[in-house]
Amino acid sequence: MALQVYTASLLKEGLVAYLSLEDGSPSWTADIRQATAGHGELLDSLKAAAEKSAQDNLVVAPYAIDVLETDAGWMASTKREQIRAEGPTIRLPQDKSRESRRAA
Amino acid sequence: MYQYSEQDHQLLLERVEQFRGQVQRRLSGQLSEDEFKHQRLRNGLYLQLHAYMLRVAIPYGLLSSDQMRTLAHIARKYDKGYGHFSTRQNIQYNWPKLEDVPDILDDLASVEMHAIQTSGNCIRNTTSDPLAGVSRDELEDPRPYCELIRQWSTFHPEFNFLPRKFKIAVSGAAHDRAAVAVHDIGLRLIKNAEGETGFEVHVGGGLGRTPMIGKVIRTFLPKQDMLTYLEAILRVYNLLGRRDNLYKARIKILVHETGEEKFRELVEEEWQKIKASGLFLRDEDLTWIKGFFKDPEYETLPDRDAEFENLLLSNADFARWVDKNVELHKQSGYRIVYLSLKTAHQPPGDVTADQMDAIADLSDRYSLGQIRTTHRQNLVLSDVRLQDLPALWGELTALDLATPNYNHVTDIISCPGLDYCALATARSIPISQALTNRFDDYDYVNDLGDISINISGCINACGHHHVANIGILGVNKKGIEVYQLTLGGSAREDASIGKIIGPAFEADQIVDAVSDVLAVYLENREDPEETFLATYRRLGEAPFKERLYG
Repeated sequence: MALQVYTASLLKEGLVAYLSLEDGSPSWTADIRQATAGHGELLDSLKAAAEKSAQDNLVVAPYAIDVLETDAGWMASTKREQIRAEGPTIRLPQDKSRESRRAA
Repeated sequence: MYQYSEQDHQLLLERVEQFRGQVQRRLSGQLSEDEFKHQRLRNGLYLQLHAYMLRVAIPYGLLSSDQMRTLAHIARKYDKGYGHFSTRQNIQYNWPKLEDVPDILDDLASVEMHAIQTSGNCIRNTTSDPLAGVSRDELEDPRPYCELIRQWSTFHPEFNFLPRKFKIAVSGAAHDRAAVAVHDIGLRLIKNAEGETGFEVHVGGGLGRTPMIGKVIRTFLPKQDMLTYLEAILRVYNLLGRRDNLYKARIKILVHETGEEKFRELVEEEWQKIKASGLFLRDEDLTWIKGFFKDPEYETLPDRDAEFENLLLSNADFARWVDKNVELHKQSGYRIVYLSLKTAHQPPGDVTADQMDAIADLSDRYSLGQIRTTHRQNLVLSDVRLQDLPALWGELTALDLATPNYNHVTDIISCPGLDYCALATARSIPISQALTNRFDDYDYVNDLGDISINISGCINACGHHHVANIGILGVNKKGIEVYQLTLGGSAREDASIGKIIGPAFEADQIVDAVSDVLAVYLENREDPEETFLATYRRLGEAPFKERLYG
């Protein structure tokens, strides 16, 4: 049976997050490698914690994804989820200045 | 351009405050995601693969320099310093935070912009010819009609819950630069036998999983009847369009399943009931709206300039840019300039905040303070004096906005694809960049001539691959991104849907496959004037298929 982690989008920021469960205490991390992976009863616990986080308006639309174990930690098994975990595979356009020149 | 009335301003400010309240209630838990989702989508806010995405409407692709500066400000303050111009002439921000969106909408409202009806099953931003009002092949400026449609469709109570989204395009020129044939409704300004100007009405065009070319359901519609006739079409669609199946809900399916004749009869019947209603456009209505789109005070200038001509002769790079990215203007001494947003350095359609600010400044200095967006994801400075072209070219080159490739092989339309989009099944931007890198040789680009490559990262076809001469559709096949080639599409006045040429190619094969297709064209064209599309239509798919699959 494939190991799974729970992922969702943070409500405030919209950013991708993964559920970590330590000693029954849930937290959300941007790093999939820090997520808690499991199956069976552990996955049931993860699901319950993820749904509770959605009810508590911390995250939006949690769901489980398959992961693979690598030397660096968990890695999503599909290309879609790998991109979601790592960000766009292309170089983002770079802005050079940080000062707005908008008309008053 | 249209200037908001007091009522328009009030409407927008109230809408922003309404959304601010909705966001606050969502963040505090008073609204569930199910309850809030509908509200945010009504304000153009999606939840995408990595973050929220805000789509901002640019009515018929027309921007003032102040509006562009505000778009830059938003990119810099609330996003990651860039924006993405889409195939619907809008701009999208990929990284806004939910709590910031009301402030973004406030900033937009300050320059008469918004994100209303950029999502949801309603009438979306009306698109148009980016050369409206300045091209030499234009019968009449379509923008006043676009603006009337914008005002009629904004918050239209009857059409806010359509079976599916609804897109309208209007063109007033002989050449179709607005892809009217692949919109839910496409309006083309034409003259009838009596010399009167009106609309040819196309209905039921669209892309997505069931691409269709629109049917002409009325060969001539008097201008005064534009809104009553649109209302009649929308009423028939609203009543009979399918709501039981998302994939069969667009008007193209209704027209197809009802039959063109019957659909026409239904619209005409409905129209007879309402054509004398308050939506009939009186002469004073048309005069009023056209007043916002009057020609600027052009200088009287000769259509020759010594400095321009000297540089044309002495500088090959300048000559190439003029050849590819500059078009004749209806006014003597002026030219239309395309700003290419297609380089291998940035995703197609992406512009940094610095570039936006610089473009705004250039538009003030060289083009009467206005910028247009195109459905091919480029920008246009529409009113540049011939004598200013050398200086403008120098500045655009420094900004990396002067690649001489408009309507050529590296002028690639690409949707955001799997790098950003929650619906995508494959990446499209890396493919566009690989193609651009491979073909980035001016002599080759020039030799290939007028050609279009469009890429979509899923069957929803936001990259318009169906109507490209060479279309690329990315799909996921057993976990692998593969790319299907279609040939022979066109989004212009000779609109056609491309045909799938054969089995898909893997990512590392698709650039070679496109290269092979181009080679077959070059080997078989009758002369350099015969375009790729003309050659394909003359020869059919056989030689291309033979080269690709043996």
